[in-house]
Amino acid sequence: MRIVVAEDLYLLRDGMVRLIEAYGHEVVATAATGPETLDALLEWRPDVAVVDVRMPPGQSDEGLRAALAARREVPALPVLILSQHVEQLYARELLADGTGGIGYFLKESVFDADQFIDALERVAAGGTAMDPAVIAKLLSSGSSNRLLEGLTEREHSVLGLMAEGLSNQAIGRRLFLSESAISKYTTSMFGKLGITDDDSNNRRVLVVLTYLNNP
Amino acid sequence: MVMRQLGAWVADVCVGFWRSCLVVAATMVIPAVWAGAIALGIWWGAANPWSWVAPVVLVCVGTLGLSRPVCRVVRHLVARWTGTVIPSGYRRPGPVTRLSTGYWWNGFSYERTSRDAVMDQKMRLRWSDPANWRDLRFTAIVAVGAGVVAAVPLAGVAAAALGFSGSGLAPHFVGVLGVVVAVAASPYAWRPVEPVGVRFLRASAAMALADRVDELTAQRADTTVAQAAEIRRIERDLHDGAQARLVALGLSLATADKLMDTNPEQARALMREARVGAATSLTELRELVQGINPPVLNERGLIDAVRAFALDSPLEVTVDADVELRLDPPIESALYFGIAELVTNAVKHARASRGRITIDVDGTDIVVEVEDDGRGGADVRAGGGLAGLRRRLTVFDGTLEITSPAGGPTRVRMMVPCESL
Repeated sequence: MRIVVAEDLYLLRDGMVRLIEAYGHEVVATAATGPETLDALLEWRPDVAVVDVRMPPGQSDEGLRAALAARREVPALPVLILSQHVEQLYARELLADGTGGIGYFLKESVFDADQFIDALERVAAGGTAMDPAVIAKLLSSGSSNRLLEGLTEREHSVLGLMAEGLSNQAIGRRLFLSESAISKYTTSMFGKLGITDDDSNNRRVLVVLTYLNNP
Repeated sequence: MVMRQLGAWVADVCVGFWRSCLVVAATMVIPAVWAGAIALGIWWGAANPWSWVAPVVLVCVGTLGLSRPVCRVVRHLVARWTGTVIPSGYRRPGPVTRLSTGYWWNGFSYERTSRDAVMDQKMRLRWSDPANWRDLRFTAIVAVGAGVVAAVPLAGVAAAALGFSGSGLAPHFVGVLGVVVAVAASPYAWRPVEPVGVRFLRASAAMALADRVDELTAQRADTTVAQAAEIRRIERDLHDGAQARLVALGLSLATADKLMDTNPEQARALMREARVGAATSLTELRELVQGINPPVLNERGLIDAVRAFALDSPLEVTVDADVELRLDPPIESALYFGIAELVTNAVKHARASRGRITIDVDGTDIVVEVEDDGRGGADVRAGGGLAGLRRRLTVFDGTLEITSPAGGPTRVRMMVPCESL
């Protein structure tokens, strides 16, 4: 994969580039500020970009803005956002266009390099990948209570893992269930949530969206 | 109809006359003292300087002693007749406290008994109060500005009495004129006392300044204490949390380094442990940072930070904020933590299930309202969370109002003036 890395702290940027290259992917460009990030994304159109939220010049949410701006120019440009903190608010903004290709993780998720690269590949393929911390915040917040009322406990945990972006196979491994059992749960869940799209990848994006955009 | 109007008019005249008499009595006391003293001096012999000693003492004592009661009476009359409350603005006594030495401290001096301390404090407050100058000035102004006018009906009555006791056409004409003046002037003659009182009896700039200094001194003490406590908390959290974990992390890595050649399996286990430790300390640091200054607040400002907070809340919270705000960071932070505390209260104490946060701008004020559908009964107790919140808002001249009847709902309104809006 051709990857752009946008991160203002040299040590982190360097470490990330080395990690990605160790897994045999190519880092085509790096950026250290918001404007640089936007330029790099539009110039290189990478297979996936890793973008830090807080960057110069303002040290506010320049990275996030750059990613959103780039996705307006190039719809569905895959972006994985990294941050020291995760907010449902930002997750909603990222998913609002409904085209997928979005990842949103805490920076420490790179500690587990295998899972991190796995998530990067899922995002590059147009899926969504969310940090478990985002999902945990979602599940404990009052706004999702009403939506989740109709789901059984098992469907609940499947939904959480699916919102993290895991495949049926991976969810099955986590819950010690067969893949066919998981697909039975997901079908009943899609029904309860009123999601009828056939394309299964898109359907997963919709699940996260329903989850997040529920008022 | 006509009878009723006539009755109302008669009542108006009578009440007006009575009030005019009261105004004259209150405002003319000090001029009367002066007149009496001058008369006394002349009577004892105007040319002899010694005959003026007693009158001068009388004038000084009378004026100083009577000025505050006169002002008090005027304030009372105005409040009673017109409903206009004029704040007195006298300095209030601070607490008299017993020290470990057994002596009493009243804010000015040490005294052997609490009675002495209170007496001493009273005297000092009485004679060092900047309101004294205002009172003196007011007694002079009110005598001319309101007293003379209020005396018109009385003068009319006096003229009538004199005129009718004489004989002939001219005295009678004077008498009739006196009655007409008295009756016509009565409903209005007492009224100037209100505007004069409002204009000249309110707190002077020096008094307002003295109050403000007291207020700010108290606030500064509060802020310093709160700040020190906060820094201690952060220090403790860092010391017991992240610092300790990083030490453990270093240890694990050092051991893993040592074991790498001899026991690679255990070395790998230690590395995994180190990774988990690093992740945990990051989580702790993130929570600490959230408590000091939430990153969203820095990245997006108050409104988005409140939206983010509402999304994470266990309540169903709606946020209404259609304004563009860019506030000073201290105000932003105070309001954010205020809102967070109120929503937490709604969850913890009011057991609410829904909440609503409204952020709006009213002129140069930011108005934040937090409502919930809980069981109500919240009040500001000394030392409680709401009192602390109110104190933190006072630093920005902000206010906190609560309506929370038992059974709910609770509505809290925070208002902070902000000139940069």
